[in-house]
Amino acid sequence: MSGAGNREAVFPTRQSLGLMKSKLKGAQTGHDLLKRKSEALTKRFREITRRIDEAKRKMGRVMQIAAFSLAEVTYAVGGDIGYQVQESAKSARFRIRTKQENVSGVFLPAFESFTTEGNNDFGLTGLGKGGQQVQRCRETYARAVETLVELASLQTAFVILDEVIKVVNRRVNAIEHVIIPRTENTIKYINSELDELDREEFFRLKKVQNKKQRDNAQQDAEMLAKREAAAEQEKQESDKENAESTPDILGEQEDEDVIF
Amino acid sequence: MEGLLFNVNNGYIEGIVRGYRNSLLTGQNYSNLTQCETIDDLKLQLGPAYGDFLASLPPNPSTSTLAARTTDKLISEFRYVRANAVGSLAKFMDYLTYGYMIDNVALLITGTLHERDTRELLDRCHPLGWFETMPVLCVATNIEELYNSVLIETPLAPYFKGSLSHQDLDELNIEIVRNTLYKNYLEDFHNFVNTDPDMAGTPTSEVMTEMLEFEADRRAINITLNSFGTELTKADRKKLYPNFGRLYPEGTFMLSRAEDIEGVRLAVEGVNDYKTYFDATGMGQGSGTGAGNMSGGAGGEGKSLEDMFYQKEMEISKGAFTRQFTYAIVYAWVKLREQEIRNITWIAECIAQNQKERIGNYISVF
Repeated sequence: MSGAGNREAVFPTRQSLGLMKSKLKGAQTGHDLLKRKSEALTKRFREITRRIDEAKRKMGRVMQIAAFSLAEVTYAVGGDIGYQVQESAKSARFRIRTKQENVSGVFLPAFESFTTEGNNDFGLTGLGKGGQQVQRCRETYARAVETLVELASLQTAFVILDEVIKVVNRRVNAIEHVIIPRTENTIKYINSELDELDREEFFRLKKVQNKKQRDNAQQDAEMLAKREAAAEQEKQESDKENAESTPDILGEQEDEDVIF
Repeated sequence: MEGLLFNVNNGYIEGIVRGYRNSLLTGQNYSNLTQCETIDDLKLQLGPAYGDFLASLPPNPSTSTLAARTTDKLISEFRYVRANAVGSLAKFMDYLTYGYMIDNVALLITGTLHERDTRELLDRCHPLGWFETMPVLCVATNIEELYNSVLIETPLAPYFKGSLSHQDLDELNIEIVRNTLYKNYLEDFHNFVNTDPDMAGTPTSEVMTEMLEFEADRRAINITLNSFGTELTKADRKKLYPNFGRLYPEGTFMLSRAEDIEGVRLAVEGVNDYKTYFDATGMGQGSGTGAGNMSGGAGGEGKSLEDMFYQKEMEISKGAFTRQFTYAIVYAWVKLREQEIRNITWIAECIAQNQKERIGNYISVF
């Protein structure tokens, strides 16, 4: 995991170091942003969960009342009117439309219910007896369906949000646990490589210097030796010359001006 | 006089029906039923009265199957009585079934209008309203054919005649057809009990007139109340009122012009019974909080108008048994039995849905 294994395949150069550093910075910013998004979504998610809970309880109550009002219809009409109602219903009275809601960049569909006025398909059902119960039962069921629609939009939002939150969290985790460490590793690697290079360079320089010094010293020594040899020779020659002719110091050579 | 020869033909039937009447559930039975915790308990409690009919039910049956089984008992008893009836009583009992036939025909017409397979509709028909040519209705594929070849042959044909033609069938709302038929049926039945030589002037005509008049008035009032806010015009509405009854003619005329519950209340003012119902249900006192039937499960302990009517019907039916030598007890018995089935269904429904607070809404007269 750590060390050399988990890093990007880059050449350890100063340029890629700069690249990696900006990448790390980007990753951190992204991580922060995603984390915040995930938190916002989670908050929303919790709220929706709470509302689903409420809606489900409400649905239980409403459906119970609705089922009971159907029992009342059965009692009042004294027979099965289901078939008749099914056949006389022509167009939907209760309709829904969808709209979209944007929560931190996630589009949640919301269903909105409305009733079409003036659509009274089975208004005459139970004309002879039980008509009022039929109408009331219809109203009760309309309320029940309203609750169901509300619940449906919440459930859809729930599923979508769940999915999105998972994706976001995966990204957050990926950035946090994979991308950032890897980039950091790479940077470390590049740094260490660069240091290594630096040290090598330094050592090399030192070596070169040493060699140069050695060479210089040798040269100097040689020079010295040469010079000494030359001096020796000269000395011998001058001794020979001195012996032959001692130049007149005060003689033909003009003294140089001594200027203070 | 009628007592002299009544028993020659009809004594057996009368005895049987009185026996059936005694097997109806009593108030004590009902209060036992309301104590039940589950449908199975209910089934057990119903055991003595419905024994073999409920025996084949699976544990914890649904309320609808329970209702179907209890109806089965009524039907088998009715068929037995019908098979033993002769002469004018047989005819009387046929008349009794016409009401169910109207429902069945309406159902089949609905199916045909929407081009459904009418065969599957036959299962949904009320068995009491079964008539021999009914399966033939399935052969018809369009309304005109249905009318010309099939309906004409049924006992209901006279009710179609004069008020409905085949053109009406496809454009009129089926509910209006049904109610028109029912109106004609009630009038015909009324006419029958009052003019048939076997019945005119006997207790039968007396009791039946009271019952049919009540039925007619109830329909008129209900149709008026239920038509508020629908596209049914006043003229069409007027055509649906039976031409007899205690409200007829002034009351029905006023009903036909009523525009709200207050108008209905004014129309029924002339008949004390109905006026009391309206006052008791608190209808017509200005605001009119809906037509106030059983108030949609959302509370409201008071009885609704419909409950009052059922109550009254049961009382009249119960009263019919105080008379001797009359066919009316058959009618009364069927009505009582239907109410009993409704009561059982209601109680079962309340138990199944755990809504015990409304369980006492049944109507028991014995």
